[in-house]
Amino acid sequence: MSGVLILVVGALTAIGTYLVTSRALSRIVLGFALLGHAAVLALVTAGGRAGDPPLADRLETSADAADPLPQALSLTAIVISFGLTLFLLALAGRQRQLSGDDLVEDDIEDRRIAEHTEAEQ
Amino acid sequence: MLLWVVLGAHLAGIGLIMFAGGTQRRLDARAVFVVAALPALFATGASIRGLSQDTATTSRVAWVEGLDLVLALRLDALSALLGLIVAGIGVLVFVYSAGYFTESSAGLARFAATLSGFSASMIGLVWSDSIWTLFVFWELTSITSFLLVGHKHVDEAVQRSARRALLITASGGLALLAGLLLIADGDTGIALRDLEPTTGTAATVAAALVLIAAATKSAQIPFHVWLPGAMAAPTPVSAYLHSATMVKAGVIAVALFGPIFKDTDVWQPLGIAFGLGSMIWGAIGALRHVDAKLILAWGTISQLGLMIAVLATGSAKATFAGISILVAHAIFKAALFMVVGEIDVRTGTRDVRKLGGLRTSMPVAFWVCVVSGASMAGIPPLLGFPAKEAALEAALGVDGWQRVVLLVGVVGGSVLTVAYTTRFVLTVFGPSDSGEVTDVAPRRLPITAVTTLLAAASIVGFVALDWVGDGVRSAAVLLNPGSEVYSLIRWPGLKTAFVLSMVIIAAGIPLGWFLSRRTDDIPRPLGADGADRLVDEVLSGARRITGRVQHGSLPVYLMTAVVVASAASVPFIAAIDVDALRWTDGAVVPALGVLIVAGAIGTVRIPGRLGAALGLGSVGFGMAGVFVAQGAPDLALTQLLVETVVVVAFVIGLGRLSANFPPVGYVWRTLRMVVATGLGAAVSIGLAGAASKPSGSAPVSDFVDEAAATGGGNNVVNVILTDVRALDTFGEVVVLVAVAVGIVALAQSGRAGAGDDTDLDPEGADPEGTPARSVDEVAS
Repeated sequence: MSGVLILVVGALTAIGTYLVTSRALSRIVLGFALLGHAAVLALVTAGGRAGDPPLADRLETSADAADPLPQALSLTAIVISFGLTLFLLALAGRQRQLSGDDLVEDDIEDRRIAEHTEAEQ
Repeated sequence: MLLWVVLGAHLAGIGLIMFAGGTQRRLDARAVFVVAALPALFATGASIRGLSQDTATTSRVAWVEGLDLVLALRLDALSALLGLIVAGIGVLVFVYSAGYFTESSAGLARFAATLSGFSASMIGLVWSDSIWTLFVFWELTSITSFLLVGHKHVDEAVQRSARRALLITASGGLALLAGLLLIADGDTGIALRDLEPTTGTAATVAAALVLIAAATKSAQIPFHVWLPGAMAAPTPVSAYLHSATMVKAGVIAVALFGPIFKDTDVWQPLGIAFGLGSMIWGAIGALRHVDAKLILAWGTISQLGLMIAVLATGSAKATFAGISILVAHAIFKAALFMVVGEIDVRTGTRDVRKLGGLRTSMPVAFWVCVVSGASMAGIPPLLGFPAKEAALEAALGVDGWQRVVLLVGVVGGSVLTVAYTTRFVLTVFGPSDSGEVTDVAPRRLPITAVTTLLAAASIVGFVALDWVGDGVRSAAVLLNPGSEVYSLIRWPGLKTAFVLSMVIIAAGIPLGWFLSRRTDDIPRPLGADGADRLVDEVLSGARRITGRVQHGSLPVYLMTAVVVASAASVPFIAAIDVDALRWTDGAVVPALGVLIVAGAIGTVRIPGRLGAALGLGSVGFGMAGVFVAQGAPDLALTQLLVETVVVVAFVIGLGRLSANFPPVGYVWRTLRMVVATGLGAAVSIGLAGAASKPSGSAPVSDFVDEAAATGGGNNVVNVILTDVRALDTFGEVVVLVAVAVGIVALAQSGRAGAGDDTDLDPEGADPEGTPARSVDEVAS
């Protein structure tokens, strides 16, 4: 696991989290995409040092190959986060259609509880 | 096994009631009580069988292996006696309910099912053989009691009463749990009958906690305020829970835990203080009220006080006396409550000032009251008399300060008991204030039958006193082996206790007669206002905290979670070994890293949504480059395809959103930055910590060799996806299909709702056709 990639994962996580805590749904989608990248990169770096592509017929010795298992896991992660990103985008579009903007509102029930408490005091 | 079958029968009965009660229309609605009575009858039979056996029947079911948590039941002389009271009175209460309610009463199935649930919980409580089983059933009785008190839940006063009862008894349950945890920590074991006597600080605290739990359950001062409020429940509930059984749980707890705690400094003084204080204060309360049911409720507080004081004393004689009173009280108090319920449904009032002429119009009820009241007052020849004698003997039998305190308390309390009993009978059955005769509805057969039976039991109990005494003795012996020598005495002769009894009766009756003519309304029991305020404060405090914590802002919820998660990385700091870390594999990775981070920053910094999408694209393509450098061409290929689609989708999708992000306040933005940076640092720390301790090398060669040999493919990653994790990959395809369907549905519902397709056109939903294909490509 190389130090540079660890720092890149950290940076992606930080920026992703920053975006996810936004109120604009489109930024939240961007944030999710970045967090997905961070997770995939963490998986790949966990596979150890770089190596030759794990293609059995082209390897000189199999010991030089990069670990194929994290790659297989990462592949799944990439595709799933891709699906999630598109779905969130569609949701943001729908939200915009219904309410005119794509901002995340406060939870109405929670707000009601809070207002009820304030009114009591 | 039989014991669990009995409890299971209750559950089956409840299921049948809930199912049949909701659907059947042809039978009388009160048929549910017949169904509910059957499991109780079964439990009665099991208890009688337990009484007639010399050996105990036990049944243990492991709950959590390794934690010493077992659900254990035991049927021996003590639990069979208590079980007989609980189940036997349960049967009578179900019969009584059939007379108390009319066919048109609302929610009968719910009522019968809950009452049956309570019955099962209470039987479980008295049969339990481990402290944890006891605790579980203890809490179940609190909950079912809450549901029963709140049966007429549309009434706000009823809601308050039910909440008050639940808050007080449930807090007591927590005290019990804490106390049990303290003793279970030691070497005393968890089987109830095998607990060893303990002393020391932990035991003292535990003793106080268990006593407090008992006091909340048995409505002892200052926790008694819930019991008068619980009279809002239908009378069958009051007769069952609030006289004969549930409130006895506290008394039973004092009896069961007495043997282990009696040597602690706190047990005797605190128990006697709770008990005698409640006995006197409850009796005074009973003398003040004009609602017949409230008079009995306060009388119950008083009687429970007597039992707790006597049992907390802990001598063999006292243990024997305590169990005797418990048995006698269950019989006479259930009868009295039932008569009050009968008066309520036949005249429409329980106000003793309005009741007149009942002695001639309700003769059976009158005689039931006279007999049961006399038993309560300790007048021979009824079962209450020898029990009261035993209590006086016990008070005389102890030494030191307890002797004086107990004698004064028991004698004083008993005088008041005789007084309020006299006043109760005189005011309920005497003339009304206005002199009018109350109209009385026709007699209801089930009520008459059950009350007569209970009154007869008080007489038969005295006639067959040896038999009752044997049952009580074999139960008491299990708590205190010294009880072996005692028995209930029908005619003691002119001994001190007997003289005291006569003095008590002689003093109490005139006092009661005098007070029966003073029936000013005393509106609220002292302390109830304070308790209600406390309950209100607790509830509004809970709402305030909820309002503060659950304010509705999703970003703040998320940030709270992120901060907590970041804190989890702290232990990893120590694990980082800088020397063990490699900085990079080749020079191209740092360059790509810069591209990725720059793109990520771009998503935030570049104004406008389009620029943000391009920044995201730069991150994705940088990632693809890293994959190539790491030796993962499949990943790189997939990443390129995916990223292209995502960027296109963003451009199409975001084009329909407003071009710029809304402005954000400076403070809020800074806070978000700090929290986000914290999580980023935490993730880096965690990864670096993990990387510092490599756990051997991966079996790469095995994968490569096996892929070609058994997988039949040269691309090892693809073999893993399609052979080793085929089912996972299939699930992944299903996810993508679901996403595609979802996006199409969102787009189409938008069009149907808006009537035109200006906002989200078919292209918006189109790109997800590509991912399924790209997976196929990758996987093949």
